[in-house]
Amino acid sequence: MNTVRQAAANRLRAWVMRRHGRDSLPISIHRRRIYILPTRFGVMLAAILAAMLIAGLNYNSNLALGFAFLMASMALVIMHHCNRNLQRLSVDVTTEVDAFAGREAIFEFALRNGSNVDRRDIEVRCLAGAGMGSVPPQESATIEVIAPVAQRGVTRVSQFELRTRYPFGWFYSWTYVQGLITIYVAPAPAGTKTLPSAGAKGTGTHSEARGDEDFSGLRAYEPGVPLKHMAWKVLARGGEAAVRSYSSLAAQPEWLEWSSLDGMDLEARLSQLCLWVLESDGAQRPYGLRIPGREIAPSGGAAHRFACLRALAAFGAGESEEAGS
Amino acid sequence: MITDRVSYEQLLGISGCLALALLAHVTTLPLWVPVMIVACGLIRLSLARRGRSAPPRGVLIAVAALAVPLLFLRFHTFNGLVAGTALLSVTAGLKLLETKTQRDIYIITLIIYFVSLAALLEGDSFWLLAYLIGVCWLTTATLLRATSSGPAPGWRRSLRYGGRVLAQALPLALVFWLLFPRFAAPLWQIPNDSKTDASGLSDTMSPGDITQLALSDEVAFRVRFDSAAPPSQERYWRGPVLDNFDGHTWTRSTSGLGGAPPPLQPQGPAYNYTVMMEPHQHRWLFMLDWPSTWNQPHAELSGDYTLMQPEPLSRAVDVVGTSYTRVEYSEPLKPRTRTRDLGQPRNRNPRTQQLAREMRSAHADDMELVRAVLDMFRQQPFYYTLTPPKLSDDSVDEFLFGTKRGFCGHYASAFAALMRAAGIPARVVTGYQGGTLNPYGDYWILRQSDAHAWTEVWIDGRGWTRIDPTAAIAPERVERGLADAVNADDPLASRWQRNTPWFAGARLQLDLLREIWRERILDFDQDSQRKLLEMLKIPEPDGQKLVMVLAAAMALVLVWLTWQVHRELALPSKDVAGRTYARLCAKLAAAGIARKVHEGAEAYAMRVGQQRPDLADTVTALCRHYSSLRYAAPSGRITLGQFQAGVRAFRPKHHAK
Repeated sequence: MNTVRQAAANRLRAWVMRRHGRDSLPISIHRRRIYILPTRFGVMLAAILAAMLIAGLNYNSNLALGFAFLMASMALVIMHHCNRNLQRLSVDVTTEVDAFAGREAIFEFALRNGSNVDRRDIEVRCLAGAGMGSVPPQESATIEVIAPVAQRGVTRVSQFELRTRYPFGWFYSWTYVQGLITIYVAPAPAGTKTLPSAGAKGTGTHSEARGDEDFSGLRAYEPGVPLKHMAWKVLARGGEAAVRSYSSLAAQPEWLEWSSLDGMDLEARLSQLCLWVLESDGAQRPYGLRIPGREIAPSGGAAHRFACLRALAAFGAGESEEAGS
Repeated sequence: MITDRVSYEQLLGISGCLALALLAHVTTLPLWVPVMIVACGLIRLSLARRGRSAPPRGVLIAVAALAVPLLFLRFHTFNGLVAGTALLSVTAGLKLLETKTQRDIYIITLIIYFVSLAALLEGDSFWLLAYLIGVCWLTTATLLRATSSGPAPGWRRSLRYGGRVLAQALPLALVFWLLFPRFAAPLWQIPNDSKTDASGLSDTMSPGDITQLALSDEVAFRVRFDSAAPPSQERYWRGPVLDNFDGHTWTRSTSGLGGAPPPLQPQGPAYNYTVMMEPHQHRWLFMLDWPSTWNQPHAELSGDYTLMQPEPLSRAVDVVGTSYTRVEYSEPLKPRTRTRDLGQPRNRNPRTQQLAREMRSAHADDMELVRAVLDMFRQQPFYYTLTPPKLSDDSVDEFLFGTKRGFCGHYASAFAALMRAAGIPARVVTGYQGGTLNPYGDYWILRQSDAHAWTEVWIDGRGWTRIDPTAAIAPERVERGLADAVNADDPLASRWQRNTPWFAGARLQLDLLREIWRERILDFDQDSQRKLLEMLKIPEPDGQKLVMVLAAAMALVLVWLTWQVHRELALPSKDVAGRTYARLCAKLAAAGIARKVHEGAEAYAMRVGQQRPDLADTVTALCRHYSSLRYAAPSGRITLGQFQAGVRAFRPKHHAK
């Protein structure tokens, strides 16, 4: 039964994909792409309603018939309400997600409810994960979906699902959104080797040596920079958020080299490099990454770290595409 | 979500709803069933209170193994309405006991819905319907609270939401109810498990029987005359005619019931009327004295002009008929009938027989003899009372020569016995007399307290002639009704109501509402549907056209419903600036630059400017207008109208060319 249902869902999903093509996010969900079916309790309700109708007809009781019709009409109204719960809901998603193999990817879905409908119990399903939340009238909400990712590589999710059983749970309505989410799954950080420079000299002192006196210019703000390095005066004059950067004489760039890990298995090598990236980043010293086909010049900060991790994720493997939820 | 454990509060809510639904059945169920269900609910609730789960399966099986055979012993079937309801109720109780997850809550909800419907198969009052709709409203709100993930919405909110769903369902339900084809006959034979006892008059009469009815205010039937009603003295509603007398009790003889009624010569005007019968579980229908036509195809007139049905009357029914109140029989009495209608035990009531012989010798003419007996009632100290003394076997002797206190049955019985002893064929007719006019609805109400007994005597050349001895002793009874005729200290249900005019008026108005309810709602059938279609100017209405009208009406209502449900999806109409801004965004989205959910107006304008420099100025200006309209203090620099006009004139696609 479950496999039949699964197969039907897959076919529907493929058909929806062909029908609507790729969606540009954010998307406001149109009623024509919302599907609805009774839950198993809805099927039971239908059976009871049929029994009520037959009883009313057989006993020729106008009151019983009226009551049965009222209940049936209520079910129909509830069906409309369930369908409405998703209609014209604005959906957006962060299109790039970083994760480590063997851990979880966290997707953030931004839902905006521009209507007066209280949209409760909206479930988002993406990969194997699901998250639920409510969006009150005229408000926005973020729903987090946490899904485990096993394989290193770049995974593209091309479809995710929004689903709701609210109100009453007699029906469930759902829709597929063809938004492209790229998941950069970096190798699981692991390894036993120390940083290449660790043997030569201590690395721990470099960050402390990064002093205020060696101001070398401004660079663009990125999250994660210590607040005391912010160029507040520039911001106050109405300029872009900027960060004062300093040339630290003591910080020799660390080169994380693929070639230094000869003789190891490919994934183990990548895992070791990944660990090094995280260690260097934690030590706040500039580092560069050199792997076959890709060289990233030494630098620091979150953007640099992500660039390195994504390079590791994308190494060698072709991109895989997954249907989604 | 489905496997969520049920909380104490959810359990309490659904148990309450189930209890309220079963309350509608409490009079028909065997007493131990509600007791058992309440016990199940309390046990489960106290377990939940202490944070414990449902009792083990063994307990449930034990309770079921006890309850189901008990039910079967009581009813011998599970097919009937009452037995089925009892079984369903027991199931609900067991389900309550084993409730663990939301799934069980759904099942109890379904049981509540069905039990409510079953109550409507038994009862038919407006209040019952209103009560059960209320119960279902509450159940629906409870279900909403129980099935929402996260914190349950508050009671007030849930009830309001449930009420809105009900209100939106109402028009569709109404269309279905009005236009869904009704069957003339049931789909299959309904097991007749009617537990209601026969009510009203029976086909035997001992002195004092009718006294019991006189204390009841229950409505026996209502009558609407097409034109003027006959005067009170002629409004006799014929029920069973009793022609067999054993000296104490009059019964309906089984011989001679069949056979066509003898032909009549109507003397007075014909009356056309509709009798709206309440179910009384007897075969006869009450018609005005001598009926000549009626619209019940299976009903037949018996030889004594009582209209009989093949089956006891278990549902309310309307009988349209024509009657005469004054007739002459054109054929002489058949010898066999004459013998029967003269018969009485020789060895009973000797003094009555003696008196009859004496009076017969004094009055040779039959009508003169009748008048003499009535005069005797009038002149001797006879009393009309609701509380007559009890009479023994020789009841007529005792009454005529001893107690002299009696109700209509006593006088009819004594009079007929005297006539028979004097050689005049006589019989007792039971039925109803008079009635109360409901001036608000222009129809007559006949209550059990209007039950009456009178006599008919055979006068050669005229046939059966109605003689009402009560009219001689208490003419007020026949002219104005019972309450005016009996002494003030007699017990009478309607007396204090009659003495409080506003109450009597309110009571009549309530009766009118009940009558409208019955006529318009309970008796709505194929005929009513045909009339409805005729009102809609549909020529030659039939079943097929009915279904077509139903489909059309449904389509209309569904359009309305869709509009109603989706109305709230639109932005509030007051927020003109927001809607206009949404239109601007939609135009830009159509041009390929959709606003991101998190993007504010200024940031969006900037991004548009980067992607489409040709639009930069216009969009920046419009977005700034929007921001100032929305968030800034009213500055007067830009009005809403200007902003609207700007957005209306904005053509991003046009620009591109």
